[in-house]
Amino acid sequence: MLLPAELRGRLERLSLVTRRRVIAQWAGRHRSRHKGESLDFADYRQYVPGDDFRRIDHNLWARLGVLLVRQFEAEEELPLRVVLDVSKSMGFYRKAEIGKVLAGMIVYLGLAGGDRVQVYAVGGTSLQVGPAGRHLSRWPQLEAWLEQLPTGGGGELAPTLRKLVGEGTTRGALILVSDLLSPDFGSALDGLGIGAGGIILHVLGEEELDPGLAGDLRLADSESGGEVEVSTSEEAMRRYRAALEAFATEAAARARRAGVDYVLVPATDDAPMNVLSALSRTEALV
Amino acid sequence: MSFLIPAGFGLAALAGPLIVLYMLRSRRPRVEVPSIMLWEKAEIPVSSAVPWQKLRWTPLLLLQLAVLAAFVLTLARPFYRERTLLGPHTALVFDTSGSMGMAGRLETAKTQALSLVSDLSEANQVSIIEAGPNPRVLLAFGRDPALVTEAINSLEAGGGVADLSGAVRLARGLATPDRPTSVLLLTDGGSQPLPEEPVEGAEMLRYDDFGDNLAVAAWSLAPSTEGTTRAFLNLVNYGAETRTVRAEMAVNDLPAGSIELEVPAQGSARETTPIDAGPGDRLTVRLLDNADSLPLDDSATLIVGSAPEQLVSVLGEGSPFLEALVDAVPGFTNQGEGTPAIVISDGGPLPTIDRPTWLIAPEATPEGVTASQFAGNLAVTYQRPGEPILDAVDLSGLVVGEAQVVVAPRWLTLVRAGDVPLILLGEINGQRVAYFTFDITKSNLPVQVGFPILGARILSWLAGATSINASTDAAGTPIGLATPAGSLARVTMPGGEVRELVEGSAQFADTDQPGVYEVSYIDAEGAVTGGPVAVRTFVADESAGASRDIATTGAVTAAEEASVRIREWAPWVIALALALMAIEWWVGHQRPFLPRRKVVTS
Repeated sequence: MLLPAELRGRLERLSLVTRRRVIAQWAGRHRSRHKGESLDFADYRQYVPGDDFRRIDHNLWARLGVLLVRQFEAEEELPLRVVLDVSKSMGFYRKAEIGKVLAGMIVYLGLAGGDRVQVYAVGGTSLQVGPAGRHLSRWPQLEAWLEQLPTGGGGELAPTLRKLVGEGTTRGALILVSDLLSPDFGSALDGLGIGAGGIILHVLGEEELDPGLAGDLRLADSESGGEVEVSTSEEAMRRYRAALEAFATEAAARARRAGVDYVLVPATDDAPMNVLSALSRTEALV
Repeated sequence: MSFLIPAGFGLAALAGPLIVLYMLRSRRPRVEVPSIMLWEKAEIPVSSAVPWQKLRWTPLLLLQLAVLAAFVLTLARPFYRERTLLGPHTALVFDTSGSMGMAGRLETAKTQALSLVSDLSEANQVSIIEAGPNPRVLLAFGRDPALVTEAINSLEAGGGVADLSGAVRLARGLATPDRPTSVLLLTDGGSQPLPEEPVEGAEMLRYDDFGDNLAVAAWSLAPSTEGTTRAFLNLVNYGAETRTVRAEMAVNDLPAGSIELEVPAQGSARETTPIDAGPGDRLTVRLLDNADSLPLDDSATLIVGSAPEQLVSVLGEGSPFLEALVDAVPGFTNQGEGTPAIVISDGGPLPTIDRPTWLIAPEATPEGVTASQFAGNLAVTYQRPGEPILDAVDLSGLVVGEAQVVVAPRWLTLVRAGDVPLILLGEINGQRVAYFTFDITKSNLPVQVGFPILGARILSWLAGATSINASTDAAGTPIGLATPAGSLARVTMPGGEVRELVEGSAQFADTDQPGVYEVSYIDAEGAVTGGPVAVRTFVADESAGASRDIATTGAVTAAEEASVRIREWAPWVIALALALMAIEWWVGHQRPFLPRRKVVTS
């Protein structure tokens, strides 16, 4: 079971919001780029034959002599794409385990809000498409799929994400749960901007945040197999921490430019609560 | 420090490869991490292409160099020269007198000697000589450490006076032209200087440990006019505190009462006590609960005489003191008819000496004694030490109004005042003669505490072996044997050990231990007949535990090299190397001075 009952109860009282308008097929609770039938006035446009006469603003026609049709906001569902990074690097330091919990948490939030949720798993260049759902009745299937995901594979993240963001006619939010430990993580984040916003949950293990390595070592990359020799020392650790800070800073900056929220999440048992708190602060959750 | 194999230091060159190994870059352990992206961005400076690195002086390297140094040192076989008291041939003369039993002196000497002879060789031979009352060679030219150790361990302190002069002569007799002999005296020095001091070719190891000692200084039969047996006990306390001790008496090993005496520090206590014993009985006294430094003098034994009373005739003026004395001494009487066995000549003309005679200031001197004049107001300055007749007899308070000044070179002077002999022992016409150069009535001798004992002993000495069956003498005095033809003599020692002597033995000399020696004769058929019973007493002077340095001229060795022994450091260096290896292993595995490597798992 990915989410305990207590957490699920808490999630049911929260809603995901997006700052951008969505483009969807079905009505929902989120403002759409389409004009629709809600009570909220949106805009005027020139009358064209075929328009509903009831939407012609007669006052304007009387005062100005132009035929303008009133348009109203449309409310549509939020197409939610939850992408979980299951590359080999996520297999370290409980990152995959915590990542699945976080992904499940977002999925549950979407299902509870009546949004259309589609789950994906990216393992570098490979993309697995999971089940989709619009209601909590689908939660068991999505949860089971998330739970059985193995870690493996590697490679560049950007092409896969770009392909995922660009496909389809809908425009919804994209939630990426990843350690972003890919050389092209910057371009991958840049590509997220074409959607309707989203959230980057940047999961890093405790060993990555504060390495406990000692001595002269030959570090091997779990995905690429590349190696680097390291002689640990106070100076080396200082440099590593600086690189880590720059990495997180750059990821946050690129996410901001792409119009998505960024949360750095240490892979600990407190991660779900930390994420909820962080999303509340950014008003992505209400 | 010198080295037997200096070439061994060549192996120190191994330190070079060891240091080179530390300068070679070690193959780093491979650790899989999620990504090396951040490590690459960190640009941590590591030298990768050069197989060398700067030498770092780690505790492990220092320890390994130390281990190497220790082993190199071991191979070079360092040694030092140690002076040894052992020469090509060393005669170890062990003093086994009574005083050497005090506070473990002899045991200390034996331990030191065992240490000396621990590595005997062809170049260092030793002889073991026991310097008791009768010196003897226990081992000659020993080179086997086991035999030498056995001989040394067999040594025991006796109760007599050591004849160190005789022992030194014995040691010198072992010298051979090709093997110079040095003498090592292991002794407390005794109380009297040796005649041959300084002793040439000898060295002395002195043992002067001292402890409190309460001794039975005298245990003898006291004169009695009551017809009963009275025992005289004299205890001397050589300690610094007054002691109260209980003396238990036994007759033929059966309890016969006890008395309690308080003995002042550096003083004595005397007691005469009646005891229910008859002729031939063995009287023993033993101090109870007397833990002191010399146990051998805590008991004494005597045997009541069993011969018929001997007639003593007093000639001359005589005195009530003499008559009372003769009457009181067991085994002697001045009442009766017949030929006297002993004559006491008190003043007057010199009698014919045809039997044991006690001469007291005769008008004419006997043969071998020349009197020149008289001397007056004399106080005693000398008592012959170790003399059984004077055992526990303190004559230091004796004052003589007038005495003959005699010269008697062949007589034994027991007591003298300055150069004036007062009491002498000698022999005339084959008869024992005691000579007092003063009239006892012109002295305070009769009122001295020791007078009755002195008189009894002089009478016993004059009577010789005929007076009693048991001879009582100082420990070490040989026992005369009259072994019948075709018989063997068997001696039962004080400790119960039985010695069988070879046929024709005329005496038994191994009498260093105080106690009773019983002799029996065994004829060819195996029939056993009784022989003499002898009592050997602990010499009272030995109880004092006196010690002194004996002047020596140093050991004579053929060459200085002969008295130098080579001692190798190897055992210590090897132990050091092993200890360093253990520390190196611990440091290598526990890494107490290095950061621990974390186990990295996924």
